[in-house]
Parts: sequence; structure tokens; C-alpha cells
Amino acid sequence: MDIRHFTTESYPRQQRPHAWRDALAGCKLRCQAIADDSALHGSVYASTLGSGLEFIRVASCAQTLSNMDGSAGVVWLALQLQGDAVFNDGNSSMPLAAGDIAHGPAGTHLLMTQAGDFRQLLVRVPRPLLESRLPAPLPARAGQLSGRSGIGRVFANFLGSIADSLETLDAGQMLPIELALTEFIAATLCVQEPDGSAMSPGHSANFFRICQKIESSLSNPEASLALLARQERVSERYLQKLFESTGRTFSTYIRQRRLERCRADLINPLYARLSISDICFRWGFNDAAHFSHAFRDQYGVSPRNYRQESGAELSRQLLRQISRGWPLGFAEPAHKRGARAEATPSAGAAVALREPELADVRSAIEIPDHGADADGTARHHYLPANAHTIHWGFFSKSLAPVLEIDSGDIVTIETLTQHASDDHERMIQGDAGAESVFHWTRERKNVDRRGAGPADASIYGRGNGEGFGVHICTGPVYVRDAKPGDVLEVRILDVLPRLSANPKYPGRTFGSNAATWWGFHYNELLTEPKPREVVTIYELNCAHGDNCARAVYNFRWMPQRDPDGVLHSTIDYPGVPIDRDSIVENHGVLKNIKIPVRPHFGVIAVAPKEAEMVDSIPPSDFGGNLDNWRIAKGATVYLRVGVPGALFSVGDPHASQGDSELCGTAIECSLTGVFQIILHRKKDLTNQPYADLSYPLVETADEWVLHGFSHPSYLAELGDKAQSEIYKESSLDLAMRDAFRKTRRFLMSAKGLTEDEAISLMSVAVDFGVTQVVDGNWGVHAIIRKSLFEP
Amino acid sequence: MSEHECTPGCGHPSHGAAARAGEELAQARHDLDGEFPASASARAMAAPLIPGSIPTAGMLRHHFLPASDKTVHWGHFSAALKPLVEADSGDFVTIETLTHQAPDDTERMVRGDPGAESVFRWDAQQKNVDRRGAGPMDSPVGAGGGLGAHVCTGPVAIKGAMPGDVLEVRIMDVSLRPCGNPQYAGRAFGSNAAGWWGFHYGDTVEEPKKREVITIFELDATGERNWARAVYNFRWTPQTDPFGVVHSIMDYPGVPVDHSTITKNYDVLKDYRIPIRPHFGVMGVAPATSDLVNTNPPSFTGGNIDNWRIGKGATMYYPVAAAGALFSVGDPHASQGDSELCGTAIECSLTGTFQLILHKQASLPGTALEGLTYPLLKTPDEWIVHGFSYGDYLSELGANAQSAIFEKSSMDRAMRAAYRNMRHFLMTTQGLSEDEAIALMSIAVDFGVTQVVDGNWGVHAIVKKSLFPDRGA
Repeated sequence: MDIRHFTTESYPRQQRPHAWRDALAGCKLRCQAIADDSALHGSVYASTLGSGLEFIRVASCAQTLSNMDGSAGVVWLALQLQGDAVFNDGNSSMPLAAGDIAHGPAGTHLLMTQAGDFRQLLVRVPRPLLESRLPAPLPARAGQLSGRSGIGRVFANFLGSIADSLETLDAGQMLPIELALTEFIAATLCVQEPDGSAMSPGHSANFFRICQKIESSLSNPEASLALLARQERVSERYLQKLFESTGRTFSTYIRQRRLERCRADLINPLYARLSISDICFRWGFNDAAHFSHAFRDQYGVSPRNYRQESGAELSRQLLRQISRGWPLGFAEPAHKRGARAEATPSAGAAVALREPELADVRSAIEIPDHGADADGTARHHYLPANAHTIHWGFFSKSLAPVLEIDSGDIVTIETLTQHASDDHERMIQGDAGAESVFHWTRERKNVDRRGAGPADASIYGRGNGEGFGVHICTGPVYVRDAKPGDVLEVRILDVLPRLSANPKYPGRTFGSNAATWWGFHYNELLTEPKPREVVTIYELNCAHGDNCARAVYNFRWMPQRDPDGVLHSTIDYPGVPIDRDSIVENHGVLKNIKIPVRPHFGVIAVAPKEAEMVDSIPPSDFGGNLDNWRIAKGATVYLRVGVPGALFSVGDPHASQGDSELCGTAIECSLTGVFQIILHRKKDLTNQPYADLSYPLVETADEWVLHGFSHPSYLAELGDKAQSEIYKESSLDLAMRDAFRKTRRFLMSAKGLTEDEAISLMSVAVDFGVTQVVDGNWGVHAIIRKSLFEP
Repeated sequence: MSEHECTPGCGHPSHGAAARAGEELAQARHDLDGEFPASASARAMAAPLIPGSIPTAGMLRHHFLPASDKTVHWGHFSAALKPLVEADSGDFVTIETLTHQAPDDTERMVRGDPGAESVFRWDAQQKNVDRRGAGPMDSPVGAGGGLGAHVCTGPVAIKGAMPGDVLEVRIMDVSLRPCGNPQYAGRAFGSNAAGWWGFHYGDTVEEPKKREVITIFELDATGERNWARAVYNFRWTPQTDPFGVVHSIMDYPGVPVDHSTITKNYDVLKDYRIPIRPHFGVMGVAPATSDLVNTNPPSFTGGNIDNWRIGKGATMYYPVAAAGALFSVGDPHASQGDSELCGTAIECSLTGTFQLILHKQASLPGTALEGLTYPLLKTPDEWIVHGFSYGDYLSELGANAQSAIFEKSSMDRAMRAAYRNMRHFLMTTQGLSEDEAIALMSIAVDFGVTQVVDGNWGVHAIVKKSLFPDRGA
């Protein structure tokens, strides 16, 4: 099995059109016209089997493609997975919507015009693979098969699931798929257009039905002309005539079909333990010697040799696939967390500009003056967290900004953890901001929408937004003059823990860690009860010296009924108040264990451009829930602006997290950050390390940190279903590949290395780590030490 | 090969260690008590952690195992390999290791070095080390088929070691092997090969898409200058080995590169300083089987773990699978990044001094080493557990394990293994409940990518010792 994969992500922007055309040409596709070269993105995953069968999955933006494979020995099928297209075979134009299948013989001059972002699976089937298996010839012209109902729909779903699983199917697993594929082709394409021969449509339909009947009777050694005629209520003579009109006799046809089945089984690893006789008996032969002869006559090789050679070829192929990964979503909880949402965000978005306590902040931190406007007018804004300044669980380009700033301005932003409600007394009580955000009684829920799901909770009934996204984000902040394509530099000047406002806990700070159903551990617990969710409350000791956190107590999550009457038997909706009587606090946990704190922000984002409502959980090219503890005081995050004004938000504050965020959360702990925000115009990016940015880039004092994801830009890549698919396709293998490609690109574009230098350097001096395995779009980061570049 | 048995004061490099052996051992036992506090009951049992395993101080020996064609096994492990040295628990052993990439630049890495010359000698008449790999001797690419690349020195048997025991290996010292060619006196060299088994292979942006590139690095042999710099690189061209086999890709280790067939590009990675992290890519004990096992995929018995933290000052703990443990070491690296992305590190010959301590199975219950099923690493500040796609791939993948493992590579599986192993570590050595262990893993344990190029991919989990209460006193 020959695998090729390509993504424009590996290339700097200006080189992409060229690289894209090359990659398509490698799959015998020609790119005629790209709607917008500067916005080009595209990926190809192609897999060619030993039999010559090819699967090519293409995802890209508006453009026209033509099929360059003119060899007459091939039949092609194209399943439109997403987007609208029109295809033209030189005679007529036919529309193609998502779910439809276009098909045709090779050699037809075909133009496929994609109207916008699209995904398509192209399948090329060598004719020899089909011919012996088809009951009737294929149509001579290109055509379209609707995927909306009937067998067309089943076929489209079949092809669609192949498209989704291409990366994970090995050569052995492809064999049954190859068989099923020819069956589908027979069932869908042949029946539609009988060849122009003497057969009338009525006879043609009969013929097809009888062929299907034969397929299901192959294993019966007694299957005969007489038996079938009886079963199908036609005369033997009619049946014989029917076959003769296709140029075959009944008995040759049935023998060929049986040989085909045996041939497929001989090389199928599933049946490796069956002897050759076993296999021929499976398909209705009752004499192994006879079978052997017939096989040799048909294929020119004995069954034994055929099997050995194919087996050896398969092993060789397997050995070559050294870098292939495990099936996606291995042991991942199969929860469907995403969904599409209605168009208008409903969360409070009142502009709240206040600048109190500014003097305090100023005196508490040292604010550098670089990056300010030339006239020195950089201002310091203060953005408190309250029900009007936060959006909960989603990003949206339509959110009204709560603050407008200029490039160079400094903003102090309060952030609240969505886990504060795990211990209301320690983390909310007495804190006006937190109380305003978390207020939820039968009469009033201050922040109604939590998540990007439907406001009427029509999917699971958990509550407004369905908890499709959980993070309380403060913002968005509108950066004047920011335009798509610019880069936003966010410097984290300081990070301060939020003190408990409850007089009972003066000067103290608390956080919560929840080991939840979306954690990596959840389906694999040792001790009872299984499964379970456990919340551990921590106290931070920041003020007095050792900068460590210690556990206070933990408790097992018990079903909680929220003030609106919905029962949450798992942690499926953020901010649900906990009935303290329902839980048991275990004190003395993690006794004497000190966890060094690394205060940082889990979520730091600009608004994504692709969709109206976006779940805050999966990180992507716009930043978001990166969950990297290195995004702390002293670090700088560079984000590519997607929408006018950038719409910057920050949230999901963490006191400490390990690389992987294994159990689903960090020590979630409200923090206040001081940020300086600097806008870099698109035209001024040349020669900057962040010039060629399509991913969140982080700079710390000593390192560059690059983020790779299972899907680097999942909203663009996975299309309409992105927000649910992303949770199904989590894989470190994909994230590692993305991190590799981005690091190579950074070293080549920003540091001017050749590819060979970049690859060598990555192997000997760049450290790859697991950022997180709990946010749907899993992350692997690459750490490049700056000292490498300092002569 | 116990060619030389050191006694205190015999003047070998890193010999101070042996002279102070008795004292160190007393300290070591004390440390052990402290490092593995476990639960209170476990602590009580930890005092006689290794009863009878170490003789009294005066009897400790220091063995020296130079690398030569007689002391290396190339590309394979086996429980049937004949030990060269029999050490007692507590003994020290200084072992020379050679990198299998040395013939990439014979002038700089082989010439004038009698040990290396004896291992790499290969001309039309003679090939000193014929078997390279665990494959058949009549393989078309060369004897052993290159199924396993690493030159390993050893094995060293530890008296009394039996399956079920745990071998502790302390890395007392690691030094670079100075170049034997007078033309390059005072320097040491290494080679980084971006091979066909690399993660990048076939996913490149420049043409030709499928190419192999070797970069030669120079280091200061004294180790005083603690960084490496690139000297030149070249693209692999088909090499005809002395027996006439053409190697169009790097499919067999130790093929001498004919420098008249390659083009050297100088000025690569100009002005880049790669901080060195000398360590051993391959270190471990023999597998349970007497069959030959490819050295490339790491396993629960260690082997090609390729973690750069396995350097000076580190201690490894391996579950013993074969009688005598049969400790071997090889695949020396001057520096590697987490992931070893392109297939190799800066492969560079090194000499290590190790102390080997045997923990008998009977002494393990109630201690932190009970139920150890993975290679465990201790550095001065951290504990590190290793997880692989398949912890014991030879058993798990059946008869075809040695080829199947290269098909089943997966970080996701390795991550899961690392999670399980770290949970085991926290629950056993620190006496934590499962809920405590899981919470701690999420907030204070860092998971990283060890390697994605050795078939059995690796993810490691690092926990800082400072998290835990100081129970050493």
C-alpha cells in the first residue's frame, strides 16, 4: 500500500499554490484555477493498494480541478463530502452536493468546479478489478448518483466512512473494503444504465436481480441453473438466453464469480489460517484439484503460489509503513461534544469600561514602554470579570466587544475559572465579580448561555449552550485597525492569583482539579466505583514563599440537580452549583505533597473566522484552549488575526498543569493577567519570526514553543461537522506530525535553514512534548531553545 | 570479557568512584531507603531492601570492558549470548561503546582507534563482525539483515540474577571517545543520519522527496566545550559494500561510505551550538527468549529507549527477564531531542562507568520495585517512567512480533502505557490512592515524546522528586 500525504501547512504562504499543484499532479489531478491564491489551504491523503485501487481524499478551497488520468483502464468515483460543485464531462454539466457521487469511465474530459471550501473522496478502480465481478457493463458516460436515499445513500455513507478512516486502514483491512466496493459499484451503477445491447430494460432488471441472487448462492455447491430458475420463477431456457445475450454461459459466470471470491480470500489475512481447500469449499467448489485447475486457467498461477506471493508482498508493505499510526480515537470516550449552533450569540455583551484600581495595578507591576505608539499614548485599561464582560464556553466573531484598545495598550484582565462552583464558599462567596457570573437560581441565571450548543438545549437538555464549551472567557477586546491576516502579539506581563473574598479565608487562594469523563484516564480505572469523577480542591501558597499548591480535600461527583431542575449525573455542564450535603469531603488527600505552581492561562484566543459559534474546548489555529503551562508570566503569544478587530479573549486560568493535562483539567484557579497587546500589520511582517503564522506561536525568555494539533485548522479542515468530528478524531500521532511540519516550517522560514538542516536539528536538539490529550484536538508542542541560535 | 579487573587505585579513568566504592555503597543503601519511601509499611520493609545482594565493601570489583570485535554484539539481543564478564551485585564496570554510524566518516570516527578498527573492519576478504541484526545470515543486504542497527558492548552477567529480579544500573560517569586519528587530536565526532525510518521520511517539502542525509558533528573530546557544531552534511548515495552488495538506502549498518561518491556541503547549521547531553540510546538486559531479538524496538527490558536523560548521574531499573540479567549497552549519543525525529541522534562513541546492583525478587514485595514491569529512570531531580506502544511486544504481538511492531507504531498507545505506568509508580512508591495519582498526573506530571522512530514508539512521564515529602532523613 503506497501512502502519500500532503498539506499546505508545511509551506510558507507564497509557496503554497505551487506546492499544491505539484501535490495534485502527483495524484493525477490538475488544478486549473484557484479562486484566491493567497487564501489557499489544502490537504491530500492518497492511498494506493496493491491491486491498483486508489483512494484520494482532497480538502481545499474554491477551485477547478480536472482529472488527468486518461487511461481507459480505470473507472472513477467521486464522493462529495462537503461543499457544492459542478462537474462537466464535455457534454453536460451536473451539480454535485455533499453526499452525492459522481462517476465515469476514465478518459472522459472532466472538469470539477468547487464553489467554496470542499472535501472530496476520489476513488479510481482499475477495470480488471471490476470486470470479472460485474454482472453488467458500466455506463459509458459520466453520471451522478444521488446520495439522498436508497442504495445511493448507503454507498455514499460507505465511501464517507472510508474517507474518514483512510489514515487508519492497513492493507489487510483494505481487502474486504475492496470487495465491498465492487459490490456497491455493481449494485448502483450497473443497474441504472444497461448497456445498449439487445436487452430491454425489463430483462436487464431481471438479469441484475438474478446476478444478485447468484452472489448470495455462491457458497452453495448445489446452486444450478435449474435451482435458480425455480427460485426466481423463470424458465431455465429464459435464464440461459439471458446469459447468452451477455456473451457468457450461466456456468462460466458462476465459476468466475466463485474464483473471484476464492482469490480474494486467499490473500485476506483474516483467512490466513484456512487451507486452500477450506477456501474453495467455502465458495461452492467441491473438488480442490478441480479448483486448482480452474484457478490456474483463469489467473495463470496456482492458488498456492498466488497466496505466497501476495503474502510476501503484504509483509513487505507492512515493513515499509514504519511511520504509520494507530487507528484514530483509540480508547477515547465516544462522547459527542460538539454541535452546530444558531447564528446569534445571546450572552451578555455590554460594553463595560472601568478603570478602577488602576493605580494599584500600576504600582504592583513594572510596565515596559516598548511597543507603545510613537506619541506615547499607550493606555492602561482594566477589564473586570462579571456577567457582562465574559462569554462562557464559546467564541464568536459576532460578539460585541467589551473593550476597545489601540496597539501597544496594556490591559489588566480578570479571569474566572468555571470550576469555582466546585467550592462556592472558597471561590465565589463574597467576590462580586464571581457572584455575578455564577449567579444561578430558579428565578435567574445571570449567564444563561454556556457553550456553543443550541440555546434551547434541544440535543441533550443540559442547559442553554449544552456545555459544548466550558470556559469562562473575559472579552472580547477589540483591537483598533486589526484586520484579517495581521498578527496579534500578546505579552503576558504579569499573572496574579485571585484571592478568596470570603472573610473566612483572608489572603488565601483556592483552585479545583476535576478528574472528569473527558479525561484520558476515565475508561481505564483500577479501583471501584468505575467510572467516577473526582474533584480535588487545592490551596495555593503564593504569598508566603514556597509557591506551591496543596490539596485541601477531594470529593466524588454525585448527581447534581441544577436550579432549573436538570439533573447532571456527570460533569456535563459548567458552573452547576454543588449541593454540599450530597458529597463527602475526604480530607488528608495528597498529604505532604507540594505542587509547584505555574500560573498560566489555558485559553487565549482571537475570534475564529470560519463559524459563527465555536466551542471553546478544541484549540486550533486561532489559539483558544491551548492548555500549555508555558503561557505564563513573561511569555508572548502570537496569533493570526481572523476577523476585524481580532476580538481577543482570555480565560480558563490555571494555577498548575502537567504536560498532557491527563485527567481533563489543571488546578483551575481564577487569575488576573496584565497583557500588552501589539498589532503587527500584515504588510510589516516580513522577516519577523511570526511572519508566516497559521498557528499559535509562543515565545518565552529562553524558548520558542510551537503547537501542533491533530487537526491544525479543524474548522476549515473538517467542514460542517468539524465541531463534532474533532472529538472523534483525536490522535497524538496526527498532532506529532503537525508539530513536525510546523517546526520544520519555522526553522526554514524564520531561521533560513535548508530542509535537511531543519530535520537534523529537530532530531538532535528540539524536544517534542504532549501538550494535552483531553481537548478533542489533541496537542503536541515542539520546544526550540533560543540558545541554539546564539553564536 | 574481563580482560582486566581493576582494584582500587589502578589508575583507570573515573576510578575515584571505585576507590570510594565502599563508602558510596553505604550511601547508596541509605539513598535507596530514602528514595523509595512508599507507605509506612513499605518503609519498614525497605531497610532490608536488597539483603545479601551486595558483598561487603572490600570485595567490590571494577571491571573494564573495552569495545572490540570480540566484545560487541551487533543489532541483536538474546538470552543465549555468552557473558563476557560476571559481576557481583555492587560491582563497577567501565564499558566502551561505539556508534554504528562511525563508518559514515571513517577518517574521523574509526581510523587510528584500534577498538573501532577491529569492530568496523570490513574488506573483500574479511568482515570482523559478520552478524549485524537479528535476521538470517544469508539475507541479501548482509548477514543479520540489518534488523537491528546498534553495536552493543556486553553482555555482563550479574551473579545470581534470575527472571523476576530487578537490576539497578547507576551511571557514574560518561565520557566522549576521543578521535584516534592524529589529524583530529583532541576532538570527537558524531553523525546524525536522517534515515528512511525517520518520522519525516516521505513527508518533505524539498526534492527529492525521499532522500537520506547524514550530518557530521564535531565535539570537544575533553567535554569542556559543552556543545557540538555541524561540520558538513551529505546525501546518501548508493554505496557498494566490500562484498559487492549495493545499498541504495541505509538498509544495513556499518557500510563504509565511499567519500568519492558523495558531495559534502560545509557551512550547514552555521553558527548553531547544539548543547550536548551525552547518553546511551541502548541500555538494558536481555529478553527472556534465546531467539535473536532486533535491537531497534525498545521493550520492558530496556534496550533502545533513546531517552537523553539516561546520562551521567541517572539510575535505571530494569525487570530481569533472563538468567544472569545480561546487561548490554550501546548506541551512544552526544545529543538528542525528545522524539529523535529524523531517526537518529548525534551518534557518537562514548565510554560509561556503571554500578550494577541486583534486587532479588524475594526482597521486592512491599518496596517500590514490586511489580516493576517497565524501565524506570531516576535522575537527581526527577522520576521518569517509560511507556511504549507495546510494553512487551514480543509476547503481545505473537509470532510475527518482530515485524508487526513496525506496523503498529502509535503515540496514542504509548501515551496510554505511560499513563498506566506512572499511575503504578505513584500508587506503589508513594502510596497514593488512584484518585490522588490521577489528579497529580494532570497537574504536575509532564508527558513527553521519547521517540517516534524505533517501531515501538515511546512516551515518558516525568515527575519531580521535589513534589514528594522528604523522607530521606
